[in-house]
Amino acid sequence: MSVRFEGVSFSYPSGVQALRDIDLAVGDGEAVAVIGENGAGKTTLAKHMNGLLHPDSGKVWVGDWDTAERTVAQLSRRVGYVFQNPDDQLFERSVRAEVAFGPRNLGLSATDVRSLVEASLATVGLEAEAESHPYDLHVSQRRMVALAATLAMRTPVVILDEPTTGQDAAGVQRLAGIVDGLKAAGRTVVTISHDLDFCAEHFERVVVMSRGHVLADGPAPEILSQVDLLAQADVEPPQIAQLSRALGLPSTPMSVEEFVELFAAQRGHEV
Amino acid sequence: MIEISGLTFTYAGASSPALRQVDLSVERGQLCAIVGANGAGKTTLCYALTGFVPHFYRGSLTGSIRLAGREVTKSPPADLVGEVGLVFQNPFNQITGARFTVREEIAFGLENLGVPRQEMVERLEEALDITGLAELAERSPFALSGGQQQRLAIASVIAMRPRLLVLDEPTSQLDPAGTREVFAALRAMTARGETTIVLTELKLALVAAFADRVVALAEGCVVADGEPRQILASETLQAYGIGETRYTQAARRALQSGLAPADRPLPVTLDQAVEFLR
Amino acid sequence: MTSVILYRPSASGLQQANPITKLVLAGTLLAAAATIQPLAQLLAVFIVALVPLAAWSRVLALFLRTCARLIWPFALSLGVIQGFFAPGSTILLSLGPLALKAEGLGAAAVFSSRILLGLGSATLLMLTTRPDMLMLALVQRGLPRQLSYIVVTALQIIPSFQSRAQGILDAQRSRGLETEGGVGRRMRALVPLIGPLVLGSLMALEERAIALESRAFMRPGPRTSLCAIPDSRPQAVVRWILVATMIALVLHRVL
Repeated sequence: MSVRFEGVSFSYPSGVQALRDIDLAVGDGEAVAVIGENGAGKTTLAKHMNGLLHPDSGKVWVGDWDTAERTVAQLSRRVGYVFQNPDDQLFERSVRAEVAFGPRNLGLSATDVRSLVEASLATVGLEAEAESHPYDLHVSQRRMVALAATLAMRTPVVILDEPTTGQDAAGVQRLAGIVDGLKAAGRTVVTISHDLDFCAEHFERVVVMSRGHVLADGPAPEILSQVDLLAQADVEPPQIAQLSRALGLPSTPMSVEEFVELFAAQRGHEV
Repeated sequence: MIEISGLTFTYAGASSPALRQVDLSVERGQLCAIVGANGAGKTTLCYALTGFVPHFYRGSLTGSIRLAGREVTKSPPADLVGEVGLVFQNPFNQITGARFTVREEIAFGLENLGVPRQEMVERLEEALDITGLAELAERSPFALSGGQQQRLAIASVIAMRPRLLVLDEPTSQLDPAGTREVFAALRAMTARGETTIVLTELKLALVAAFADRVVALAEGCVVADGEPRQILASETLQAYGIGETRYTQAARRALQSGLAPADRPLPVTLDQAVEFLR
Repeated sequence: MTSVILYRPSASGLQQANPITKLVLAGTLLAAAATIQPLAQLLAVFIVALVPLAAWSRVLALFLRTCARLIWPFALSLGVIQGFFAPGSTILLSLGPLALKAEGLGAAAVFSSRILLGLGSATLLMLTTRPDMLMLALVQRGLPRQLSYIVVTALQIIPSFQSRAQGILDAQRSRGLETEGGVGRRMRALVPLIGPLVLGSLMALEERAIALESRAFMRPGPRTSLCAIPDSRPQAVVRWILVATMIALVLHRVL
């Protein structure tokens, strides 16, 4: 499912203009990372995608739906938003009930809800904690519960807001697997993240925002090699990009594997 | 400065210990980073160093922790104020809310300690200076960004001149700018060499760049202890779910593909990686 | 995040006075509002005491605007109720079976003036006094520290509840929670909205308790303070005079 912004401008009631004439088209099944400094408008952009905010001018389309004509609850069938703070949504007495909340709101049958919940718990690796009280879990596990709760809604579009916050190596690896799984299933995945190593390895397209504008938009290897652009977006280039730049490699690899290939080619030439 | 031996702690009602026979010593003025998967015991160790375990979070504790020679496991946090300070993940929850400006917020702890006004002002200025908050001194604590609030938490604690500063994942909830600011403050402190710092951190690249010493925890036990380059490049860390920097990963793969000589230690920072692969 | 603190700093005026002096002043004016009978005298106190003080403290415009905003609902409803339903014989206006009487309006005016004087003194107090300075002054005179802490933090932390509540609303709506509609639906929406707010607040409370402990909050013993609260002999004298006035007003009314 595609998400399109057509000439979208938005200002908060306080007067701050957060989005200025944004034109952006995310195609069906694309994986896009949105990066930018604090206050650039990334979260505002994301909130327009599921109808939490409506544009002052312009339109936002999710598939064939104009977000201005739909409620957030309706849009939640098409767009799943995983927020940064899991404690803003956890209220049920068990992880299982928590994950079931979304599918239940969709009006699915009890059997369907159950199977969606089980699948979701397996995806995030929390089957063993299904009956635990969410607040008895470590905060990084609570983040996984919130993720599972949105995944269970099987939305064609998934938005992940700073998903790697507070995750250890195993957690990041699991997240990587989840993102790859969503892509393989043809879902459209949008992430807001300042973890560029994660973005480089799993997202094909990068949109750089600054002060309400789209500063740059293109394939990840192209965007993530522009050091000045990234400095403006207040992010550190991915470690692999930094390394390959320092070694004078001809292009910017997005993963360790790509790096080794490029490096070998460079060495091959020297031998 | 810190001597931990045989530290074992089980939370009340838990089936297994959160810390098992932890032995650790940290020299004065060092910055010691604790790494480990979530649930390995990093936070418990931070609480044990500051008295919240076992006095706030109850459970059974055996073993000893000596700070500058003094046994502290029997001391509640109140007795350790001025010796140890704690900064944790959530910047907002560390603002007392009792004061309306940054300056007064930092002074809050000093007022409670009954420090004379003249000395209070000196310590305040020093804390503002180290954390780079001097320009924000008259701002409301609630009008600060996450990184600024975290620096305020650090300033409020170091104004009390603890000998040991413990930080539990201080940059976890911060953006890159905030993370840089916090580490700049820590760097300013280590430059002065007066405070010993124990820090838990998941971002290994930062640990590699800033720590004098790295200790790895897994399931409550110390599984590695030494210099950053030695520990963070070690393959055993993978088995414990601790991960490695992309620099180490890339260098290891290059090595495996015969693209780099095998006689040098693996790198953990960018500069080391560049040197390794040249 | 909006602040609930009304304080307006100034280099002159009441802002420079000791908080206790201002508190006693407000108390005396409240006593005046409650005890003085004639309408003319009530209004005189407002005009002769409050207005000049507000001007001196450079908050006159804000003070008058706030008083107006606070008083008009009272004045209007009292005027209507007392005017039409209080006993009296001087009819000013007839609307069918109802008659607006002068005596009723008079009573309404007196009552409204009392409220105006009372609210006015409270407003002036809040515009010219920092709550934390007032609390500090009270703590120095024996108010329990914990109570002072609760009052000041309530002022600062409650606005954060609002932004949290909004965050929770956003998160739950994004999971399909319907918040528009009938009473039943709105009632069912309460638990997913209040639950995280309460649970999250409890967790925050625990962390804040740890932070406070680290700042020696519960340490027994004398405290010092960074800010010196201004005071002077003349102010102390003024306070005694005000207290005496307060007592005199009350006695005069009672006897």
